[in-house]
Amino acid sequence: MITKVSHVTFFVLDQDKAYDFYVNKLGFKVNTDAKMENGFRWLTITPPDQPGLEIALLNPLSGMMKYDEETTHAFRVLLEKGALGAGVLHTPDCRATYEELKGKGVSFKGEPKEQFYGTEVILSDDLGNWFSMTQPK
Amino acid sequence: MSIAPDVYKKIVSAKLYIDDNFNEPIDLDRLSREACLSRFHFHRLFTRIYRLTPHQYLTRKRIEQARKCLAGNELTITEICNEVGFESIGSFSTLFKKEIGHAPTHYRVQVHERRQQTLEQPRSFIPHCFIDNCTNSNIQEIPPSPSP
Repeated sequence: MITKVSHVTFFVLDQDKAYDFYVNKLGFKVNTDAKMENGFRWLTITPPDQPGLEIALLNPLSGMMKYDEETTHAFRVLLEKGALGAGVLHTPDCRATYEELKGKGVSFKGEPKEQFYGTEVILSDDLGNWFSMTQPK
Repeated sequence: MSIAPDVYKKIVSAKLYIDDNFNEPIDLDRLSREACLSRFHFHRLFTRIYRLTPHQYLTRKRIEQARKCLAGNELTITEICNEVGFESIGSFSTLFKKEIGHAPTHYRVQVHERRQQTLEQPRSFIPHCFIDNCTNSNIQEIPPSPSP
């Protein structure tokens, strides 16, 4: 029986910039930042109120990953287009968080809108991924 | 009842005021003035938006900064207590333990031990499924020992 998700991966164009975006701007916590002898960096973060879910920020273009040239190229195309939809981020108040993150330079697509499931706006990490930021009803 | 956009901006500005000045004495009067709202109105709206009272948010912010200091510098516990805005070491230790689960000193030791281990034995922190399936196996192979 599977009971929960412990790790997920966000592929990003740059781990240092991802650290700045997710930790310094969005307020995620760093769980582990370890570097293997071959240079592979294992950087995981957790959402502020969800310490049990580790998100691995991996850069598939780093040369440290086990991908052939064709796969690496496909990753590059998708990440540079910002085409990966990485998930839904919950907030207690979408409009307040929108105002705050906009002030920190986070990119949004439009303004928060009322949907049947809550208030939602789309944001980008500018490193390959877009998210819905939602205040559930 | 929805909140008007200009009121949102006022509450957010007060929240950012806490983020920037948590190490100073901050009370409800100061925050409600920052937001240009009455104390009651400000407290009600802030709590509604952030699901924490302004005081709870301020305390959380101070604890968070204390964690960073404990992990990242050599200040004493008393110095950190003052640095992040707590008035007494007693309330700092009690609130820290309540929020984090360990006393500040114990937390510092744990963080340093983990950091040292992360540096010395990174593989013990990386799930092996990721090492095997994601990393370039060619560069992680241990070269064979030279034949005698």
